Amino acid sequence: MRRLTIAVEVTALIFLVGCSRQDTRLERHKKKLESLGATTKVIADAWLSGDVSTTYARTALDRTFYLVEQERAKLASRPEMLQDTRGAALSENAEQLSRLIAAIIGDVGSADDQSARQRLASLPIVPHKQP
Amino acid sequence: MSAILDLVLGVVTSIGGFVEVGSISTSAQAGSEFGFQLLWAIAAATLMLAMFVEMSGRLAAVGKQTIAAAVRERFGIHYQVIPLVAELLIDVLLLTAEIGGVAIAVKLLTGIGFQWWIVPVGLSIWLILWFSGFAAVEHGIGLLGLVTLAFVASAWKLGPDASDVGKGFIPTMADHDMLRYAFLAVSIVGATVSPYLLNFYSSGTVEEKMTEDQLWVNRTTAYLGTGFGSIVAMGVLVTSAMVLQPRSIIVDSYEQAALMFIPAFGRWAVGLFAACLGIGCLGAALEITLNSGYLLGQVLGWQWGANKPRREEARFTAAFTFILLMALAIGLIGFDPLKLTMICVALTVVAMPFVVLPFLVLMNDKRYLKQHTSGPIGNGLLAALTITAALLAIVVVPLEILGG
Repeated sequence: MRRLTIAVEVTALIFLVGCSRQDTRLERHKKKLESLGATTKVIADAWLSGDVSTTYARTALDRTFYLVEQERAKLASRPEMLQDTRGAALSENAEQLSRLIAAIIGDVGSADDQSARQRLASLPIVPHKQP
Repeated sequence: MSAILDLVLGVVTSIGGFVEVGSISTSAQAGSEFGFQLLWAIAAATLMLAMFVEMSGRLAAVGKQTIAAAVRERFGIHYQVIPLVAELLIDVLLLTAEIGGVAIAVKLLTGIGFQWWIVPVGLSIWLILWFSGFAAVEHGIGLLGLVTLAFVASAWKLGPDASDVGKGFIPTMADHDMLRYAFLAVSIVGATVSPYLLNFYSSGTVEEKMTEDQLWVNRTTAYLGTGFGSIVAMGVLVTSAMVLQPRSIIVDSYEQAALMFIPAFGRWAVGLFAACLGIGCLGAALEITLNSGYLLGQVLGWQWGANKPRREEARFTAAFTFILLMALAIGLIGFDPLKLTMICVALTVVAMPFVVLPFLVLMNDKRYLKQHTSGPIGNGLLAALTITAALLAIVVVPLEILGG
């Protein structure tokens, strides 16, 4: 009986540690993607207001796109992340963000500020706090 | 009059040469993730650096020996192999990161991929070193590096709350991501107290023929130069904390870091950030390349010195050329400059005891320092800080690299 209790306790502990690691990982991915969403907004806003050149805006958005793709790949590399509804939602948002950044890069290239402004309004991942 | 001029030039070049790829990356990340909370790490690392720099200058002025040459003489070549290999490995990685920093700066301005700039940057470094003496390298780049004061101007313009900034100088535990906080603290120490700086400074002191009666110049330059220089690194952290953290931007690339200048400088922001990054990294790359030649020359007993014609010091020139080529080769294989920098500065802390501890033993040896040996408090404090930082790095670096 005692052995069974210990086995149950150890299993529960492993489960809890596993859950907390999963939570930590999800939280990290969420923060990174929020940061990349915010970066996209700041770059595009700066380009729209003429504070940064088209060359820089494209370079920086390209890099942001690459980093979003890296985060997506990391999320997708663990099936248990995508089994979790929060992870799955995050992955979908990341994909939307990727597509949006790609579209904004096109807008910047064709100097279409109207379209870029519209797209910015539909950023899928933005942090709660924005100044 | 000449001593005063040396002093002013030394302090000014120390300020201009303080910030490079490591300090910009670590301070920008620390500010964006933990606000002002890691200012204490910059202050502590600066104090360590100032003490080390003063000691290495004193050893060179009194003992007429550089650190590498004195360690070789005192401990023998069999021991010297350990710090030599450790320092050369870090020098190569750090040089790759600095070349990457210059290449990224050019990329920010031109939009052309940074890999395309690796070879031209390497070639420029080699040509500058071929044609210039020590003073031209140190003072020229140091004076150009004053552009990095833009970080201080930016922090000033943003007007941070003085009491919040003041609280940052008191070491506290992080309220989130403790591992990341410890990793960044260790990285700040590694970025500030690079071993190459110590041997480079002592080699420069020998090259400039500083004498025992000029020790006050050495002391003042070491403390004032690094002290004022650290204000630039603090400017990076404060600017990042005030601009990027409120927007929840975590610095994962230099392109993101450049955004920190927009509120203060508007249209000039990206150009100014690229100039700070490019000049800071170019200066450090020149120093690291030259130091690798110094290091090999001094340990293996070759002719060395940046003030003699390169043709007269074939092995010294070949040594720094070889190190530069190795860094370029790593650069061409492909790397993420920011990640490489962060790993490199953290590894620096792990390797630091091998370089620093024998140096501290030397500082108590009257054969080299005569009556100018270091006191037990300073030496003990530096040894304790170095070992503590190294132990902390051994724990947090693998955890951070493996993702916690």
